[in-house]
Amino acid sequence: MRRHPNQLRGSAIWIAVGAVALVVVNILVATGSLDSYYTSVLGVVGINIILTTSLNLINGITGQLSIGHAGFMAVGAYTAGILSMHFQTPLVVNILAAFAAAAIVGVLIGLPTLRLRGDYLAIATLGFGEIIRVVIQNLKITGGAFGLIGIEWIDNFFYIEIVAIVSVIIIWRIVNSAPGRALVAIREDEIAAETMGINTTAYKVMAFAIGSAFAGVAGALFAHRMAFISPSDFTFLKSIDVLVMVVLGGLGSLTGAIISAVSLSLLPEFLRVIDEWRMVIYPLLLVVVMLFRPQGLLGTKEVHFGAISAALQRLKSLFVKGEEHLEPASDLPAIATREADGVNTDEPILEVRGLSIYFGGLKAVSDLNMTLQRGALHGLIGPNGAGKTTVFNMITGLHPPSEGEILFEGKRIDGKPPHAVTAAGIARTFQNIRLFKDLTVLDNVKTAFHLSTGYGVGSALAYTPSYVAKERWIDSEARRLLEILNLQDRSMELARNLPYGEQRRLEIARALATRPSLLLLDEPAAGMNPQETADLMDLIRRIRDEFDLTILLIEHDMSLVMQLCERITVLDYGMTIFEGTPDEVKRNPRVIEAYLGEEAG
Amino acid sequence: MLRVEDLHVHYGGIHALKGIELAVGEGQIVALIGANGAGKSTTLNTISGLVRASGGRVEFLGKDITNAPSHEIVRMGLCQVPEGRKIFPEMTVIENLLMGAYIRNDSEEIKADRDLVFDLFPRLKERQHQVASTLSGGEQQMLAIGRGLMSRPKLLLLDEPSMGLAPLLVKEIFNIVKAINQQGTTILLVEQNANMALSIADYGYVLETGRTVLHGPAQELAANEEVKAAYLGG
Amino acid sequence: MSRVVALVLLCLVVALFALLRKYRAVVVSNTAFKYSYYPASALLVILAVNFLLVALGADRLFFVQQAVYGLSLGSVYALIALGYTMVYGVIKLINFAHGDIYMVGAYAGYYAVTALNLSFVPALVVAMAVSAVTGVLVERIAYKPLRDSPRITLLITAIGMSLLLENLGQKVFTSTPRTYPSMFTGSYNVFGVSVDLSRIIVFVVTILLMLALQYFVTYTKPGRAMRAVSQDRDAARLMGIDIDRVIAATFAVGSALAGAAGVLVGIVFPQIRPTMGVMPGLKAFVAAVIGGIGIIPGAMLGGMIIGVSENLVTAYISSSWRDAIAFGFLILILLAKPTGILGKHTREKV
Repeated sequence: MRRHPNQLRGSAIWIAVGAVALVVVNILVATGSLDSYYTSVLGVVGINIILTTSLNLINGITGQLSIGHAGFMAVGAYTAGILSMHFQTPLVVNILAAFAAAAIVGVLIGLPTLRLRGDYLAIATLGFGEIIRVVIQNLKITGGAFGLIGIEWIDNFFYIEIVAIVSVIIIWRIVNSAPGRALVAIREDEIAAETMGINTTAYKVMAFAIGSAFAGVAGALFAHRMAFISPSDFTFLKSIDVLVMVVLGGLGSLTGAIISAVSLSLLPEFLRVIDEWRMVIYPLLLVVVMLFRPQGLLGTKEVHFGAISAALQRLKSLFVKGEEHLEPASDLPAIATREADGVNTDEPILEVRGLSIYFGGLKAVSDLNMTLQRGALHGLIGPNGAGKTTVFNMITGLHPPSEGEILFEGKRIDGKPPHAVTAAGIARTFQNIRLFKDLTVLDNVKTAFHLSTGYGVGSALAYTPSYVAKERWIDSEARRLLEILNLQDRSMELARNLPYGEQRRLEIARALATRPSLLLLDEPAAGMNPQETADLMDLIRRIRDEFDLTILLIEHDMSLVMQLCERITVLDYGMTIFEGTPDEVKRNPRVIEAYLGEEAG
Repeated sequence: MLRVEDLHVHYGGIHALKGIELAVGEGQIVALIGANGAGKSTTLNTISGLVRASGGRVEFLGKDITNAPSHEIVRMGLCQVPEGRKIFPEMTVIENLLMGAYIRNDSEEIKADRDLVFDLFPRLKERQHQVASTLSGGEQQMLAIGRGLMSRPKLLLLDEPSMGLAPLLVKEIFNIVKAINQQGTTILLVEQNANMALSIADYGYVLETGRTVLHGPAQELAANEEVKAAYLGG
Repeated sequence: MSRVVALVLLCLVVALFALLRKYRAVVVSNTAFKYSYYPASALLVILAVNFLLVALGADRLFFVQQAVYGLSLGSVYALIALGYTMVYGVIKLINFAHGDIYMVGAYAGYYAVTALNLSFVPALVVAMAVSAVTGVLVERIAYKPLRDSPRITLLITAIGMSLLLENLGQKVFTSTPRTYPSMFTGSYNVFGVSVDLSRIIVFVVTILLMLALQYFVTYTKPGRAMRAVSQDRDAARLMGIDIDRVIAATFAVGSALAGAAGVLVGIVFPQIRPTMGVMPGLKAFVAAVIGGIGIIPGAMLGGMIIGVSENLVTAYISSSWRDAIAFGFLILILLAKPTGILGKHTREKV
């Protein structure tokens, strides 16, 4: 991992400042130099850090706008409160129970609502947050509108500090592992993430549940710190407070979240001087900061975060010499064809029968039949708007067909979700390039190894040897793919900064990382100059042989299609008008009329 | 009438236009052809002010209109019929046409022009009270062109009018484009169907990865071997 | 009223309602009654239930009373919801400050009546004007500079503006609640149900404002431009529409309606305070989403549903569950039809 030395030094300074601050604060508290008021304020800081980092996991990392965090905090707080009051259980038990309870509620709410997107999701989470509060307000066991009084009072800064640090480390480990890459992929482009084989629904619910669980932990700490809680502690405004901290810190940046949690928790104390106008100044500051720093107080998304992990890596390499050499572990298979377990290689790899789809009454594709033999290089051509991309969307599960069936390696795949289709062995690229734009080239490819990850959140947290080995394997395989596509020098560049031609190649690399046996390329040459197009042709042939692929491609560049493809299907107006070899296609009068046009001269 | 010099556009890190040069003379039909992703639509969008140019100059009727706001450019008599039609889906056909005449206040003449559009596209007249989203693809394209005409443009930019239409309809649309031109409107046409475009155009430009690589009278271009190989399927 | 008569009337109302449903397309798309369709339907449904209850020999007074109360509350929600939905239509922003504009309107109306000694209609106009100006200012200061920023940034500034207006309100108007002078006293007896004059005024003014809005949006140039911008912003620019002016106009109209709601709420529930906009604002937004955000008649529909059901829940269950109703409805509708009752299904282009 190469990073700018400046950036590295910058983050090292941040870490040092943070560490020193933490030590100083601890000494001050331990020696009793701070009066109880200030230690109590520090407790608030700790709780807010947990709330902010956990909401950041949902909003920033996974990109799912949730504004009902206070509801989960309430679940945790009341769980801890009730346990403490009725069963006198110790703090640790209460925290764990709060974690579990909030996680369960998170799954229950997340499952139905995470189908929604953007503002709809936001308003649904807001609604659930309010409903949780109203329910608590109406139950007997929660003490109704009056709340719970007499929870064991534990306002110990050290407890809160430890829990906060543990929470942050856990979230940090999750973000920095393969499941974390899946979450970021969802944020960057949900459809592309699906086609990388990521079950986006499951991962969104997981992130939501984990985020909620830690909000529950924060709630438990809050309950014990206050000894008295009521529904009015967990209103919509509380959720908004946390959201503001996350956005102000910079969405997706964990360090940003921490720094903004610290500063916004301490800000009211400083504004105390202008007490009377405090409530007016605070929102004014908020608006002004957003006007001048629309990306959040601490700037771009991953810089700080990535830099810290790089700095830690470097720190580690100082102690553990020679571990930095990345060699593919020999016991793990390199990417090649997946084992042909019981697959009959004589039967067609893909068979499409009577495929039709309607968009609002309009038949976009009608009665398409197509058969692809294993190892074929098949072209799909036709005028813009003829329905070519729609065919790809149906094969890859993005648009379930209205009629007809799709058989892949003899099995029905129509109606399966895209991630399952990818898992079955079909990969694709997109006409309007859908890279994870704000990730590096290397991370784009690494994310696509999702299906061969083979370890869970648990081993990422525990940093098990299998996790380390697998991560190293993914890294080296991703680099190997980049080399094949001649992108090795770009690995640390953000995908958005590549020229079109390289973006298209990166999409191919990413598709290959899912280890497909059928590859669908949607206008791979669009935006390329003739030289690049010629190179692309060689490349497509090469990867077909090297990875034992069958390739179906949509292309307008006739020179490429005619030279490359062995068979071609011509679509027009949603219907197949011809199928045959390039020469037959060139001569066919219907094709000429609809698409190629009469040869002038 | 329209002159584009050394036009550059950046999208994020992508250099989408790298010095486009083109000129459109009064009364002409000029075709802009090239592969998907070559920058044809971006060129039109930059001329009409939807996309900001990062360098270069666009001149219309002798005035510099580079990066001028769209609504002012429309008022000068330059109207774009965008790719994918972009009609107002929830409005009726008549309301869509009225939107096209947004910059005008002469209600009598607007009515007259509306009838002219209906003469040009009799099918729109039949469906004048229908909500636009219920029209077929061809009718939507007609509506988009009709709406563009309602501003009485001196120069009409057409972006892929043939997209998604059956061959017969494509012919019909192109005949109408020719008729519009004969009535005195200058046309800059972006087309993926290069054959069709060059057959009605006076002059043509070929775009490749954000650059103008070739230009000349339409018939010459249509006979050019390179062009034939790349875009005409020859 | 005898049961037989009630039964006949019930049939009549149901028939009328069916007729209305049948010609809904005509009513909604072409006549001047588009936006009044939902309040009218709500009234008919209530009437139908009323006659049904009479026919069954059950106690109807309580229900009808509550439902009619609900109509006036629903009117207020609907008026606020319109602003949310219109602003969302043109810039896709949940304008959190909108609830506070409603508060500003309520105070403007209050001072117009108490300090300037204006009567109801001029006070309403003053409140609408003050709210419109406030709304446009908020847009110019906090939203316009961020037009190309991530939407979450805009959401945060909206929250910031909301808190700012609220806390400024606390400073300027103090947190002590003010009481609107009672302007409309007396009540009418309709079929044995007593209806306060003030509630009738609220309902009637809402209907009138709806008609005005309907006219504005359908037949005037700025209104059409507004619809054009909400349907396709780029296409609107290509028509020569100055987007910035249309957005400002949208804020002005939406805020004026919220200001009107502020005055109307004052004549029914006279106590006003600086934080009064928070909950109604939130619920009105929910109403807009339920009806289908960005769709003007949807805001009417959502407002009526929430207003009436909140009153019924308060009456038949408990007021402490009242706040859950709006959100419960919201979740149910979002899960069944994510784009709202009148929303159109949209497909993401791949």
